[in-house]
Amino acid sequence: MLRAFAVSLILICAGCARLDHVQISDIDQSQGRLKPISVQISNTGFNAAETVAIAGELAQSSSAKENLGDLAALLALINMGPTTGNPVYNDRYAENILQQLYQQCSTGKITAMRNVREALSYGPVSGEIVRIDADCIL
Amino acid sequence: MKKLYVMFTAFIATSLLAGCVSLNSVSLTQLPENRERMVTASASDILFLGFTTQNDFVNEAVENLKSKCRGGSLTGILTKHQTTSYVLVFKREVIATGYCNTKEG
Repeated sequence: MLRAFAVSLILICAGCARLDHVQISDIDQSQGRLKPISVQISNTGFNAAETVAIAGELAQSSSAKENLGDLAALLALINMGPTTGNPVYNDRYAENILQQLYQQCSTGKITAMRNVREALSYGPVSGEIVRIDADCIL
Repeated sequence: MKKLYVMFTAFIATSLLAGCVSLNSVSLTQLPENRERMVTASASDILFLGFTTQNDFVNEAVENLKSKCRGGSLTGILTKHQTTSYVLVFKREVIATGYCNTKEG
C-alpha cells in the first residue's frame, strides 16, 4: 500500500513547477518601443536522501529497508540546513546570464527585468532554473 | 467521546489555519524623488495540493503593472511573492507596487 502511494506520489509530482523567488526591477516605458527578451539557465538538482528513502520503500527485504532508511537519514543530516531547491553540482551555472541577456539586446538598454528562481521537479531530480525576462529598449 | 474531541479539535485547527499567509520573497528597487502616483498590480494562481506545471502568473503581474503606467517610468517597485494556504488549496500571488512618473508630470 505504502509502495503504491510512494510510486503514485512520484508520478503525480513529475513535472511539478516550483517558484522560489520573484524580483521585478524598474520599468521604463518612456524611452521607446520595448522588445521582450528572456534568458533561462538550468542545472540538474538531485536529492540523494529522497532517492534512497524511495529505494527503501520499494525494497523487498526488511533488512534492506532498514539499511536504506538509515542511509536516507544520514544523507538528510549531511545536507541539513537552509536551501533553495535541490542541491546542484555546479555552483557557477548562472554566472553567464548577464552576457546572454545583452546578446539579445543590440542597443544595450535593458529595462523591466524580472528575476525568477524556479524549478521543475521530477521526484528527487529537479531542474533548478534561473530565468531573467526583460525588455530591450529599441 | 474522545473521538468527538479529536474531531472537534481538528475542525477548529483546520478553520484557524485556513488562510495562513507565508511570505516567500520581497524585493525593493530604488525609490524616486517624486512619489505622488502609486500604482499596484497583482496576479495569482490557485493550486490544489500544490501541484502545478507553470509559473506564468508572474508575467501577468508585470504586464498588469506596465499597463498602469503607459509611457511612463516605474520606479521604487516593491515586489512581494506570497503563498496563502487554505485546506488542501494554495494561492500563490505576486503583488507589485511602484511609483509611476511620466514626462508630463
